[in-house]
Amino acid sequence: MVLKFLRRFLKEEEDEQVRLQEKFQHFRALLENNNRALELMADMEEKLSGDYLFDTGYLQTQVEQLEHSLSRLVVEFNHLTQGRYPELVPLLARLQAEIHQELAAVPEIPPTPYILPLSRLSREMALSVGGKMANLGEIGNRIGVPVPPGFAVTATAYKRFLEAADLAAALEERLARARIEDLPSLEAVSRELQEMVRRAPLPPDLEEALLKAAAALPSPWLAVRSSAVGEDAEFSFAGQFRTLLNVHADELPRHYQEVVAGKFTARAIFYWKYRQFTVNELPMAVGVLTMVPPRASGVMFSRDPQAPGENTVLISAVWGLGKYAVDGTISPDLFQVDRGAGHVIRNRRISAKPVALTCRPEGGVMEVTLPPEQAQAPCLTDDQVKTLAELALELEEHFGGPQDIEWTVGEAGNLMILQSRPLRVSTPAFAAPGRERPREPAAPPLLTFGIRAVGGAAAGPVHLFFHDEEVADIPSGAVVVARQPSARLVLVMDRIAAIITEVGSPTDHMTILAREFKVPTLVEVGGATKVLHPGQMVTVDADAAVVYPGVLPELLTPSLAPDAALRDSPVFQKLQRILKLTAPLNLLDPDSPEFQAANCQTLHDITRFCHEKAMDAMFTPDLDRALESSHIARLKTDLPLNLFILDLGGGLRVSGQPQVEEADIASRPFQALLRGFHHPGVTWAGLVAPDLKGFISVFANTMYDLGKGERALGGKSFAIITDRYLNFNSRLGYHFGIVDAYLSEERNDNYISFQFKGGAAAVERRERRARLLKQILDDLGFKAQAKGDLVQGRLVKFSLLETEETLELTGLLMAFCRQLDLALANEATLNRCLQAFKKEDYSLRCLRPES
Amino acid sequence: MSERLLVVDDEPNMLRLLKTILMDRTGYEVATTNNPLEVGKLLQEEHFDLVVTDLKMPLVDGIDLIDIIKKIDPGLPIIIITAYGTIETAEEAIQKGAYDFITKPFRKETILITIKRALEWKRMQGELAALKKQ
Repeated sequence: MVLKFLRRFLKEEEDEQVRLQEKFQHFRALLENNNRALELMADMEEKLSGDYLFDTGYLQTQVEQLEHSLSRLVVEFNHLTQGRYPELVPLLARLQAEIHQELAAVPEIPPTPYILPLSRLSREMALSVGGKMANLGEIGNRIGVPVPPGFAVTATAYKRFLEAADLAAALEERLARARIEDLPSLEAVSRELQEMVRRAPLPPDLEEALLKAAAALPSPWLAVRSSAVGEDAEFSFAGQFRTLLNVHADELPRHYQEVVAGKFTARAIFYWKYRQFTVNELPMAVGVLTMVPPRASGVMFSRDPQAPGENTVLISAVWGLGKYAVDGTISPDLFQVDRGAGHVIRNRRISAKPVALTCRPEGGVMEVTLPPEQAQAPCLTDDQVKTLAELALELEEHFGGPQDIEWTVGEAGNLMILQSRPLRVSTPAFAAPGRERPREPAAPPLLTFGIRAVGGAAAGPVHLFFHDEEVADIPSGAVVVARQPSARLVLVMDRIAAIITEVGSPTDHMTILAREFKVPTLVEVGGATKVLHPGQMVTVDADAAVVYPGVLPELLTPSLAPDAALRDSPVFQKLQRILKLTAPLNLLDPDSPEFQAANCQTLHDITRFCHEKAMDAMFTPDLDRALESSHIARLKTDLPLNLFILDLGGGLRVSGQPQVEEADIASRPFQALLRGFHHPGVTWAGLVAPDLKGFISVFANTMYDLGKGERALGGKSFAIITDRYLNFNSRLGYHFGIVDAYLSEERNDNYISFQFKGGAAAVERRERRARLLKQILDDLGFKAQAKGDLVQGRLVKFSLLETEETLELTGLLMAFCRQLDLALANEATLNRCLQAFKKEDYSLRCLRPES
Repeated sequence: MSERLLVVDDEPNMLRLLKTILMDRTGYEVATTNNPLEVGKLLQEEHFDLVVTDLKMPLVDGIDLIDIIKKIDPGLPIIIITAYGTIETAEEAIQKGAYDFITKPFRKETILITIKRALEWKRMQGELAALKKQ
């Protein structure tokens, strides 16, 4: 008794239904994770458009989720394929490790000597010497505008200083211990750390380098200023850059330490306290310049930030050092100078400047009272004002935007630039940001719908693209119009204007690639291949989802490049590097011998590979075992089919019955296929195919297996189903057909795999039938291929309704073609059949000899 | 006179971007800090028309900041920036008196429009108060 129960219990456990149910669960989970991964990739790519602000928190979340989806995907995939692709596991681990490395990466300090002379600096060296000194080097060396002699103490020197005598470790330890509750406690820690930096011994080699470099300058009197790496006018921990004026060269090491200590402000402490403190992040470089005893100094803006439309350069000037021009101690002279040739001085305000800040002979600075006639006099001659305005425009042109410039005029009247940085120009009124929509073009549009998958606008001649193998024929500059997305288009994405597809989604493989190449792309433009004609010139406005006839230059404004500030942001660059390991697709063609797990180079490759091979794995279930299931039900049907069903969940409205009716079927894809079989135009019994050589009668009973192959199926057709899945294996006559399909609201999941082979006729006729099927499948939107008498096709990522409709037509096609091979004596018959199918004539009257 | 905004976010990169965007052809003046502890001091020392603050920060988060700011200037509009998936906290912020919240990542236009609306709201509050006094 117990034994009997146990046997029954075990039998339940072993039933193929349970195994197939598990397999299907893995497939479901795989599809979900595949979609999730594609969505995440698309979302990340969208952030590279330059329209979005995001932080490292976003990157961390996305990478974490992507990692989760990919790991699950590979696990489910290996379950599904019984561990057939173990190499994917280490491959994914390696990619994920690389992505993590990028995520955590801190910019390296480029190795340089401790000292770099100003004469060797240029803009690109900001990571070594800070933005301020790099710019000053650019001004002196590339623009040729005079700057004071000097040198930079590099980030490498900073690293050396902090790492010597374990200063960095001591700072880190103190930071970790610090109890910060409020601003005073934070400021106390800041003062303490600054003191630690001041008191730390300077490594002898660095000290020697500093003294040697200082001694080589023309004057022993120096200005020492911070030139922090990674900080700029938009953000600085210091708030104000620190400058020590008129200090002696012999004392440079102490002053260097003082400027470095200035880095440890309350803001910097707050930052480091709650993140890992590292010497490599935000290092402090220092600029050392020869002190030029100034007659007058000041700042100038190459454009009036409050009134950029005024077309003026603004110059402010004071006697002596420039500090008083900006800190409000006195009212400076103000000059408003025309930017146009000649630089007319439009306005001048000469203030009373009773005092000046000057260099003290024994070092440091002091305030001096000026004689009344000097106090009232302008600090600049008109010629100097004009020369300054000219310099301002020169700097603006070189740096590509308005500049905020510090300048000085020496005792000898010589003009020098001390600093130049970008100036943010405002307009008083709130200006609508972003791209303004141009006026509606005059020509009526050809198409006015679709989904913007990649934004932008482009024009070019239409090229209709139906077959992947014809990708090389696409001409440069074409607007590619296709039935469905094709990842193979990546091969020409560097030279085409735009892409329009009738189906597709913003997260499919092709779109992800198109975004990478910034090709304007519209998907879901139903009927595009019919409305648009080859060679026709069109303008595609992907943002508005409109296609116009002709070239509309007003729409073709170059898309705004991402804001320089955004592009230069470390987070943006991090995302770019992470996407390089994520988004490119190298596995383009499933039929290529290169389509292998080992060739996956990106996360996108892995998703593509797994999805494709998962559909393959679902395509051929182990029918021998499936047929042994005790849960199989026979379908009672008018169709001449000996049809058995195994329901894995939700496929039937009833359960536990040995026989079911068509009305009991709840599986949406199976219903669709059966509708195709039941199409009134199909003749299932009786005379089918009049051959030119004579009539061959094929009766319904030949639907049963007579051959020796495919023993497992015997004379049966077999459907494994769920509410939205179908795997249909059938022997129709001498032909073996398989349909594997998935239908859901999630477009990315939907697919139909189809295969048909065999037959009773001669090879030549069977091959002809395969070619006919391939052509019909191509027309239906499948990617199909014929090899000998075998035809295979797959249709993916169509909408629920489109896939369902195509599945019905697939059923119809199977019925239509089941014995055509016998009749396809020549190419003319093939063509007549093709035309008949297109005209929805499924009666096979087309086979009658033409009268 | 241009309106002055204070932006608070513990991530310097975000501050840098926000400042660039908020000053690009808008007419706003923008001050930034990564240190929420100094916000009270900054508001007492200088005049601001609006505060934009990140929600999640060490020691003092955006919710705490609302209390601090409201004590100094109850009429100052506050816009909270939240990370995706923290909508409940964002709602709490609104209940505490924040003007609005936006979710990261966001489009440049989104924050510009939100700020513009908040500043209009502030002006109207000022006019209303002036009318009531009459």
